[in-house]
Amino acid sequence: MSKNKLMLKTIGSAAALIVGLAASPLLHAHHSFAAYDMTKTQILTGVVTRVNPDANHLQIFFAPMNTDRKNVERDKDGKPVIWAVEMAGSAAAAQDGISVSTFQPGTVFSVGVHPQRSGDPSGFREGPLFKCPVGANGKATPPKPGEHCDAVEGRTAFGQGTLPTPTK
Amino acid sequence: MRTPPSFIHAIEFSAFGEWMRSNVLAMPWVNAAHVLCVILVFGTILVVDLRLLGLLDRHRSVTRTADELLHLTWAAFAGAAISGALFFSANATTYWFNTAFRFKMLAIVLAGLNMAVFQFVTYRGVARWDRNEPPPRAAQLAAGLSILLWVTVLVLGRLIGFTKGFDVAVPDNIDFDFGAP
Repeated sequence: MSKNKLMLKTIGSAAALIVGLAASPLLHAHHSFAAYDMTKTQILTGVVTRVNPDANHLQIFFAPMNTDRKNVERDKDGKPVIWAVEMAGSAAAAQDGISVSTFQPGTVFSVGVHPQRSGDPSGFREGPLFKCPVGANGKATPPKPGEHCDAVEGRTAFGQGTLPTPTK
Repeated sequence: MRTPPSFIHAIEFSAFGEWMRSNVLAMPWVNAAHVLCVILVFGTILVVDLRLLGLLDRHRSVTRTADELLHLTWAAFAGAAISGALFFSANATTYWFNTAFRFKMLAIVLAGLNMAVFQFVTYRGVARWDRNEPPPRAAQLAAGLSILLWVTVLVLGRLIGFTKGFDVAVPDNIDFDFGAP
């Protein structure tokens, strides 16, 4: 085989490998879950403040609601405590209907998360998301005290199944 | 504070933005194209800059080095701008508020100004020093600044990826009071 043919064959093989990798499920396995405690599950209901639709991980930032569902949890200065729920990339999340369009600021939703081991206010999504309906006044209708959006009539599900069972 | 201007909102919710967010292969391929174009922009500019500094290709004239490479620079820059704009459209609000992104844009503008001053002032007299060794101080200064600014662009570009997820600021217009009738 001539040098040129060998070089062309090598370049062709490398190109095929790159194309194959780019189209493979590896794209969805961006990093490990070591930061999250996968043995713990919490259910959180909160008000969306921002969505970061990243290629690798979509994040929804939200202010968790207090148990009476009339306002949000606040820090000692009275500012809303902000959590983030991270999930697969924006394209994968879009398959479940989750995007900046469907989770605009002010949306009330519920989600199961595996919290960070560090105690930082963020977690990795487990299971579907449930969005509370919007009332006639244009504002989200929150769940009853202690409940989540999956219990509210007119809710919308994003993903299959039910909210996971929280760990003690 | 934290509510983007309406044109940023319009960009984010444009057809391009929706396509970038919802197509499984769009982000990785646009990302690969952006990286490739940025490599070409920086690589070709670096060769010309090193020639202007008298550190590379000293046997070739400055005009020949520049003529051979800069058309590739412009083509790659166009590709980087298009792929970058697609990236921006997918997550415009986040990029708009990201400090590293803002400084990256500033560094690109400064690099462009540096290039314009060199092109329209120093390079006009290139016939006098095309094969001189070393090139004049003004050309060396432009080349040094160019390398510094483009390295800054690259570093800030990487920093965006490590900083844009951690903005927890709350928009002013969200009403958290659900107790009111």
